[in-house]
Amino acid sequence: MFSIRRWCLLALSVASLLCADAKSSTGDSVLVVVDPKNQDQYSTFFEGLKDGGYDLTFRSPKAEGPVVIEDDAPNFAHVILLAPEARNLGKDITPQSIVQLLSRKTNVIVALPTKQSPLHSLAAEFSLILPPPNTPLISYFPKRDTPSTLIPIKIEDHSSPALTKHIEPVWFSGIPASLGSNPLLVPILRAPSESFASETTVTSGSADAVADSVERGGEGLWAGSSLSLVTGFQATNGARITFVGGAEIFSDELAQKETERHRQSGNAAFSREVAAWTFQENLVLRIDKVEHHPVNATEPNEQYTNNDQVVFSTYISKWNPTKGKWEPYSGLKDLQLEFTMLDPFIRTSLPPVRGAPGKYSTSFRAPDRHGVFKFVVDYKRKGWTSLESSTTVPVVPPRHDGYPRFLSAAWPYYTGAISTSVAFFLFSTIWLAGEVNERKRSKGSKAE
Amino acid sequence: MAGTKQSPATASQNPLLSLWKAYNDQTPDRLKFIDAFLFFLMLSGIIQFAYCVLVTTYPYNAFLSGFGSTVGQFVLAASLRSQVNPQNREEFKNVSPERAFADFALGSIVLHFFVYNFLG
Repeated sequence: MFSIRRWCLLALSVASLLCADAKSSTGDSVLVVVDPKNQDQYSTFFEGLKDGGYDLTFRSPKAEGPVVIEDDAPNFAHVILLAPEARNLGKDITPQSIVQLLSRKTNVIVALPTKQSPLHSLAAEFSLILPPPNTPLISYFPKRDTPSTLIPIKIEDHSSPALTKHIEPVWFSGIPASLGSNPLLVPILRAPSESFASETTVTSGSADAVADSVERGGEGLWAGSSLSLVTGFQATNGARITFVGGAEIFSDELAQKETERHRQSGNAAFSREVAAWTFQENLVLRIDKVEHHPVNATEPNEQYTNNDQVVFSTYISKWNPTKGKWEPYSGLKDLQLEFTMLDPFIRTSLPPVRGAPGKYSTSFRAPDRHGVFKFVVDYKRKGWTSLESSTTVPVVPPRHDGYPRFLSAAWPYYTGAISTSVAFFLFSTIWLAGEVNERKRSKGSKAE
Repeated sequence: MAGTKQSPATASQNPLLSLWKAYNDQTPDRLKFIDAFLFFLMLSGIIQFAYCVLVTTYPYNAFLSGFGSTVGQFVLAASLRSQVNPQNREEFKNVSPERAFADFALGSIVLHFFVYNFLG
């Protein structure tokens, strides 16, 4: 038994050594749905992924296979849909199947077409409100010699949680999306504030055309920096999907194109960052284990008594994409612990412990209330994997002999009861003594 | 009462003083002794109640048993008083003073048993 376990461990460690160059935390197989004619256009993006250790499989939108879900199990860890022009992406790639992929923890990058397509209804499922068909993003600023639909966009550092590095300005061509109020959305690239979505006809950009598109869209003006061009979405199970307003942002042409001041554009780095976030390389956390025990003990209690001092600890790891392994992570500053019975009775910060990497610990007094409680860690931040942990533990009132005795506050009552007893005893003694005296006296008087 | 003592000249007019005098003159010593006990119990009860209202009810069981012991003891002592009072002899013909005291003692012991069980 023991040796079998040891062999299993050995096999596991060998397996982890073999795939040490895999940088994603969920796997390295990628299906790319791209038109074979256009495949060379994105070679920089694909080479970047291959260098990162990904295993790319290409498939034409017209081809039947390889299928994404076979026998109810996903065949690939990640899927890139990079064929926006195709009318449909194949029999097995529909908006429904993409949602299924996500629910089976497969990550997806979707390039949205300018024309009407099934992907529009998919985007609507994720609270992305797309402009009417054939209304790409247009900007006349800054003055440049490229078409008005090809826009250089500056990226501020830390403008999105998903972008971890400094990135040079990128070229973008495609459609924007207005975002709904879904908290799971992670905007990655915002539209410049001078830009707007409009038809690219002769009257493109004229006031009338904008007003027309506003009326047809019925969703307000498609303009300004509230629009999102590249939008991530993290499902509650951790799977990530990214909607990109136009596939050109990944293309070699734009990756090599110079932005102002003759510097190479940041498209290649941006594409890599988008893939890194979507394929769960960056900002991936997990809870390794949780512990709870009374103060001055190491073993957990089966149940806690009212007002017990309880210590709760959790160990959190972050995926390190360069080493390809989980590492203890003490960088969370705003982690909270809740002790709940329907409502949180206690909500306290769960700070990292100095000298113990990855450990977060706090101690608190169990509430003066009995019932079935839960230790809840619920950490949801934009871009980060959501951490959820719940441990059920009963809190009981003290046993009949567990209550505190001889409280100083109760001494007047104790004195009252004791003095009554003493007084009763004295009273009885004196009463009986008096009776004896009387009897003697009465006897004496009789004798006389 | 201190005031009435300072003005003995008007004592005969003061109803409280005359009541006190009549009590002193006409009450047998045994009943006075019981009355002293009753007075002590009443004081103790008042103090505990005031403490409970003004300071804390926290060990409520302790308050209930402490206060209850004074009240119960008061009731028992009061009934002893009425039974041994010579004026009530007609009413308690078949209860001798010894029997009355035995009842009182037994009742008190049972009361204290409960009080100490509940006091904890």
